[in-house]
Amino acid sequence: MNLDIRLTESETILQTAAKNFLERDIPKDDLHALHDSATGMTDALWRKIVDMGWPAVLIPEDYGGVGYPFTSAGVLFETLGAAPLPGPLFSSAVLSSLIVLETADEEQKKRLLPDMAEGGRVVTLALTEADYGWTPETIQTSAEAKGGDFVLSGLKLFTPDAETATHFLVPARTGPQGVSLFLVDREAPGLAVRQLEGYMAGRVFEVKLDRVQVPAADLIGPQDQAWPGLETAMAKASAVLSAYKVGGCRAVFDMCVEYSRVRIQFGQPIGRFQRVQDMLIQMIHEADAARWTTYEALWKLDTDRPATESIHLAKAVASEAYWQVCTLGHRAISGISYSREHPLSLHTRTSRQLYNLLGEPAHHRREIAKALLA
Amino acid sequence: MDFSNAYNPEQEAFAREVGAWLDQNIPQELTRPRDILLMSRQEFDMRRDFCRKLGAKGWLYPRFPKEYGGGGLSSDLAQVVQIEMVARGLSLPPIYDSGRLAAPTVMACGTEEQKERFLPPILTGESVTWQLFTEPEAGTDEANQQTNALRSERDQDHFVVNGGKIFVGGIYAPPDQFLLLTRSDLKAPRHQNLAMFLAPADLEGVTIMPLDLFPAGTFGQVCYETGDSAPGVKHSVFFEDVRIPDSYLIGGENEGWRVTTATLTVEHGDRGGEHVASSGAAYIPRNLVAARLLAQCRDNPHIRRRVEENPILQDAMVEAYIDAEIERLFYTRNTALPRAGRRAPYAGPQVSLHTKELGLKLTNLMARLLGPYAMTHDAEYGLEDRLFEVGERAGICIAPGGTPEALKIVISRALRIGR
Repeated sequence: MNLDIRLTESETILQTAAKNFLERDIPKDDLHALHDSATGMTDALWRKIVDMGWPAVLIPEDYGGVGYPFTSAGVLFETLGAAPLPGPLFSSAVLSSLIVLETADEEQKKRLLPDMAEGGRVVTLALTEADYGWTPETIQTSAEAKGGDFVLSGLKLFTPDAETATHFLVPARTGPQGVSLFLVDREAPGLAVRQLEGYMAGRVFEVKLDRVQVPAADLIGPQDQAWPGLETAMAKASAVLSAYKVGGCRAVFDMCVEYSRVRIQFGQPIGRFQRVQDMLIQMIHEADAARWTTYEALWKLDTDRPATESIHLAKAVASEAYWQVCTLGHRAISGISYSREHPLSLHTRTSRQLYNLLGEPAHHRREIAKALLA
Repeated sequence: MDFSNAYNPEQEAFAREVGAWLDQNIPQELTRPRDILLMSRQEFDMRRDFCRKLGAKGWLYPRFPKEYGGGGLSSDLAQVVQIEMVARGLSLPPIYDSGRLAAPTVMACGTEEQKERFLPPILTGESVTWQLFTEPEAGTDEANQQTNALRSERDQDHFVVNGGKIFVGGIYAPPDQFLLLTRSDLKAPRHQNLAMFLAPADLEGVTIMPLDLFPAGTFGQVCYETGDSAPGVKHSVFFEDVRIPDSYLIGGENEGWRVTTATLTVEHGDRGGEHVASSGAAYIPRNLVAARLLAQCRDNPHIRRRVEENPILQDAMVEAYIDAEIERLFYTRNTALPRAGRRAPYAGPQVSLHTKELGLKLTNLMARLLGPYAMTHDAEYGLEDRLFEVGERAGICIAPGGTPEALKIVISRALRIGR
């Protein structure tokens, strides 16, 4: 049957399990504490998440995962985005797993992925630098071959989840035209991590590499040729990240509709005022636009259709939608929503923190423009 | 989930049958002007004849029951007829006909006797209907009807209608009948004082006058491949002591608002029920103006040069693309909702609102991207068979089917904002 927007039975189970988990295992105060922490996660909570099997969702069974379709991963991350649950799950289970799958050789996949599926190895991508961007030209960190190993030096900026990661995936320049990918241990000598300050900055870090020695075995995939696989993995991960934002959009909208019914001013619920209605109508528009662009992109990935354009569309729309929905949410709720304790504050921070990750909307719009003129 | 919209095997076979018949029966001379104002009387009559032919096959209103003159087709197969018509540049029905509103209204609110009397002429293409709701004092405030339909004192089984309607109908008057909303009680409270008729258009005392309008079509006229069903020309209709027998009253005296709601639910884009139990391809409108605008940017060397050298124009192009994609996906969602056994009453007006706002935005994006080419239909220098010039005009005209602001009220209620 085509044209079907229903979840599969297993997706419904996944969704219900995630909802129950969030309600049961993460009380409101804990969630706020997570967002205020450098890790976005606690060891105890991570163990529970591992028990839920979520780090394994996109990793194929051959490598110790469960190999769910992208749409199912989307459903899971949409549910988690409604909280919003912070932490390294996206960086490790989605983005880094996909990078390993797209770039690594068979031996490396067998070595890395089962450990990632079990949550013992937490990996994050350290790509962007001072010349912030998501294209290979922006990469200046160098990797020099030396006695069979590589020596990495450079500065990675705005790296997410660096505090929780046990390992980094580091794209570095191995030649004027060549970008290679390295797996770098968090404890490697010469590697220093510092969190960047800012209430809206989130858990992003400066990662300094000062002559960090990386064994040849941790050159992931072919030397000089890492970019195509990296780009493919980032595109696929973008679609799942968009689903996380979809969950956030809908949660904020639901929160605001409820408030529009119970908040009384001038003797009536504020939702009776058309100015307020306008904002809520705009919010559901943004949320729905994000939802359906995202799920179409996920579906294209699952059915091996060309998905690049759809992913750029979804990511551009969802990032902007999450930002705008939160802003409108503050305007609709006003006063109380500016309290740090208010659930909207978590979404607002998250919408800002994730706005640029894997490409700001302007990046995706430029890619769409290229495709439209091609 | 599945976003594919391909024919299933049953549809595939039926599409071949429909396609072959259409190719044989669509008159060669049917030019399908993109500008409805250019449609000749001769072509209009040709289209009316073609309506009858379609009606005889049951393909004019394929989803309606056979016993009333419809096609009795499953939703799956009914969609095929529409898709194949659109593929040949025609809408279904291929002329302006408010039968698409009147028929479901009669189905929902008419008596059995009325269904038997009213539906066959509509569904077989014998009669063309105009919707007569709007009045000078009843625009967005539809319930504020001033056209009176009062029981005749002489004979109690007649109503006498006095008043006037405005911004109604399509090109080439008169139609055969009106779906006419009136005020039937001067004392009863608002919403309890209305009556709906499906009445002949040739009754004594009816005068139809064309309006001298800014040459604006409605956006549906050019935006979609279904284009030509929407009105490009509007009329006033005056009623002077027009006697209507009460057998033409739909839904009972002073029940007019309930009937109106049934009509407006269809008009505001609710596709609920239409696609239930459907499993195959559905007709999903494509925004023709946006598609052609993007094609100009890519393929017209004069336009492409402007766009390539100016990143700000590239962003305007991307804006058109993104909003047209959102529109397509909203239509897709609306089609898929009833199939999934779900209702989202805000979804219909949401896509209508987006379409109208996109129409306004597109006229501006056209001006930015195409420059003065967007404004002319000069035979030598105009682009694409007047499409953009008409698109510019059409974008201005966003009132039919409810202004964006009225749609926001509908959406707000459907979402129970503040209630």
